Parts: sequence; structure tokens; C-alpha cells
Amino acid sequence: MNDIWNNRLSEYIDGELDSTERAALEAHLASCGECYATLGELRQVLARAQALQDTVPATDLWRGIAQQIRRESAVDRPDRLVRRRFSFSVPQLLAASIALMLMSGGGAWLALQSRQTIADTRAESAPRTRITQAATWTGRTDAAIADLQTVLAQNESRLDTATVRIVRQNLALIDRAIADARIALQKDPGNAYLNLHLAETMRRKVELLRRVNDMAAARS
Amino acid sequence: MPRQVLEDTLTADSIAADTALAASGDASAFERLYRTHVARVHTLVRRMLDADEADDVTQDVFIRAWQKLSTFRGESAFGTWLHRLAVNVVLARRKSVGVERGRFIADDKPLDDVSGNRVTPELSMDFEEALARLPEGARQVFVLHDVEGYRHEEIARMLGVVPGTSKSQLHHARMALRRHLDR
Repeated sequence: MNDIWNNRLSEYIDGELDSTERAALEAHLASCGECYATLGELRQVLARAQALQDTVPATDLWRGIAQQIRRESAVDRPDRLVRRRFSFSVPQLLAASIALMLMSGGGAWLALQSRQTIADTRAESAPRTRITQAATWTGRTDAAIADLQTVLAQNESRLDTATVRIVRQNLALIDRAIADARIALQKDPGNAYLNLHLAETMRRKVELLRRVNDMAAARS
Repeated sequence: MPRQVLEDTLTADSIAADTALAASGDASAFERLYRTHVARVHTLVRRMLDADEADDVTQDVFIRAWQKLSTFRGESAFGTWLHRLAVNVVLARRKSVGVERGRFIADDKPLDDVSGNRVTPELSMDFEEALARLPEGARQVFVLHDVEGYRHEEIARMLGVVPGTSKSQLHHARMALRRHLDR
């Protein structure tokens, strides 16, 4: 085995040799069985590294983390609230636009199931929700959601099992986000980000329920 | 949409929602993020440092993530952001415990210890164990390059060495580990 070439085998695997060096190494490999065998082993090492699995720690570390963040929250809470309220204004509203695509996966899936229905729904969809008095809009939206859920309960049997399962998963995710947002808002009612978060999440729920009901109606 | 893609999308959306909630101070949302990501972070830390440090450093990573969540801009996935933070915490730890640049040059004895002669069954060790016994410099380069997918230029910047050193350490690590492929 030629040490000069052996030392370049990893670079060869990683595609880091120029064309001249690569051609010279390949010529050497054609005549050196040991380097050729080593090359195969190094490739296996790389494949093994890429196949390594992550493992959870043997002990639950959350308790220690929770204690620490509770201590910090108790110490700097006033500053934290002010600082975070400002920091949410732009970046977190952007994050919200991603976060609140909670039904995007299901929506896209449904789109493949019923393009026509979605096109109709898109034409009807409400303009972007504005932040208004929380009590007013959440009350109206809660009523709309209740009506749509009643209709869905009647229509659900028209949908296939896979569709019903996906819809329920989406609704569960949305409901969890709504519940979390309401809890957070109780602690910080004036937080613009949280108000928008709640409004968008509820709007998504209304949209999803409308789409599913339209789809079920189309199958009747 | 294939079912797996749909489920991945739903998971990503759920993580994004939890990230936003955690950034608002919701510890329950942050705990869900912890549960989702702890295996990846802990494994990275364990491979980069000694196993007995992994728990403490993993906790430190998540506490720092909580402290820095307000700076998370959502430009990358939360998991990517957290992973980079974990690498930074590990490298800072490496400096703080006095692991000097010299450890990146020749540390032949432990490397020989890992590579040695071809192992017999009774002396053989698990691939992960062999990885843990590499000299720290070679181990960190191997983990960052072959396991985590960083490029030599990035690794060199992170570790404060030249790319050639990173390449050399990677080759030594691979040469040592090829003896433990059958386990």
C-alpha cells in the first residue's frame, strides 16, 4: 500500500480531488489491491456513520431544565415580558404565518382529493383576520365552528375512512393550538402576537371545516 | 400527497406552532419541543464529548435555547437552529475545559488504541464505542462531517483549524473505525 495514495482515499470518496489527482489515484487503485480494499472499507465507514441512530438519554432531563427555566422566569419576568412583546412584533408574526399553517398538510392533501371544492372555497374565503376585541370575534367564530361541526357530524359518513382520520388529526392539532393560545392570552391579554395567533388558528379551523363539508356535500 | 409527507408536514407545523408558543413563554410548548428533539441533541453531545458529560451539556443546550428563543427568527427550522446551538455549546465546552488546539494534531496513542490490529471477537467493540474512543479532535471532525454533514470549511471555522487539518483528522478517524465495521 502506498501511503501517499492511502492518505488521499478519503478526499477521493468525498469528491475533493481535482481531475488530475483523481485520474492518478484511479490508476493506482487499478494496480494496488490493498488500497482498493481500504477504499471499500472507508466507504463502509461513511455509510455506517450516516446510518447511526439517535438515542434518548437514559434519564429524563426535563425536570432539571424545567426547574431552571422556572427560576429564570421568576427572576426576570417583568423584563422578559416587555422584551418579548416587542421581539414578537415582526419575527414572530412571520413565524406565526408558518406555525399557523396547522392545517396546511391536510389542506394540501384535501386539495388533491377535491380540487374543484377547494377552488370554490377559496373564492369564498374571508379576508385576513384583523385583531378586534377578542370577546367579540372569538364568540362569533366559536358559534360558526359549532355550526360547522354539527354539519360535519351529519356528513362524516359520506367521507372515506382515511379522509376522516386525516381531518380529525388536523382538527386535534388546531384545537390544541387554540387551547394553548387561550391559556397564553389569559396570562398576557394585550399580546398582539397571541391575539393574531388565536385568530388565525380559529380561522384555519373554520376553513378546514368548510372544505370538508363541501367535499362531503359533493359526494352526496 | 403521500401519507408520510403529509405526516412530516403536520409534524413540522406542530413544531412551528410550539416554537411560537414557547417563544411567548409557554413552558408546556417548550417541553414538547424538548421531547421531540432531545434524542438528537443528546446523541450529538454524547458523540462529541465524553458520555458522562452528555446529560449536563444537553440540559445546558435546552436552557440556552429557552433563553435565546426570542432571537429565533424562523428563517430555518427550529431543529436546525437548535442543532447549531448544540454544536456551539459543545465547542464552547471544549474550550472551557482546556482542550487545546494541540489535541487536534497527533494524539497517536489513543488512535492506535482504536485502530490497532484487526480486532478479535472477544476484543471487539461496538462502532459507537470505537467512535467514543477516538482522540477528541478526530472524533469531533468525524461526527461533524460524516454523521452531521458539515463541510470541512465549516468545521475548520468552528474548531479554529485549517481545512487541511480537518481532512487529515477525518481520514485518520475513518481508518481507525474501519476495524469495527462488523459490529
